[in-house]
Amino acid sequence: MPSFASQHPVRADQEGHHPRRGHIETTQVLVRLVKMAEAVEEKIKNYRTAPFDARFPNTNQTRNCFQNYLDFHRCNKALSDKGQDVTPCGWYQRVYKTLCPMSWVSKWDDQIEAGSFPGKI
Amino acid sequence: PVQFGRSQPSLSRMLSTVSKQLRNHPALIPLFIFIGGGATMSMMYLARLALRNPDVCWDRKNNPEPWNKMSPTDQYKFFTVNMDYSKLKKNGPDF
Repeated sequence: MPSFASQHPVRADQEGHHPRRGHIETTQVLVRLVKMAEAVEEKIKNYRTAPFDARFPNTNQTRNCFQNYLDFHRCNKALSDKGQDVTPCGWYQRVYKTLCPMSWVSKWDDQIEAGSFPGKI
Repeated sequence: PVQFGRSQPSLSRMLSTVSKQLRNHPALIPLFIFIGGGATMSMMYLARLALRNPDVCWDRKNNPEPWNKMSPTDQYKFFTVNMDYSKLKKNGPDF
């Protein structure tokens, strides 16, 4: 499972066990979720451009684009499966819309609709 | 198959030829040092790329996206001119 230091968003595993939520009470979880959602809303409101990502330091940003596209759809799937509000995922959407060529995005959207998208969501 | 006139395998014959040449022309020694050093550095860089580069995925089943295991302050490049990695934070929300 990714650690605190991981760049990758912390996700629940197949059975729905979240690595950070062993014995934390529900209210604390909800308070943290609300704070995080507000922080992300703030970030989305002040969005100028895709920030520097240490995972992709070189000129070729292809993987950055694809990773944010994947993260947007994974985030949507994960948060709607948990019944939470999907708006924090908008961050990933802003970033991939900044980075990706429109033809790629429309191709991938068509593939998702057709069920032939090659990435793992 | 019998090899006429060849009693030693080729690697040791190559080494004995080279050492004879070096004894007769010792000025060739720096040549070997520099060429050997260059070859070593190339191989070490290729090994670094193969083993440490986060874009390289050896194990698709257990570690499919190794670049996601980096922290926001990890630096893979040797030289970063204007980038202060210590101030970076994670960008997107957890899910």
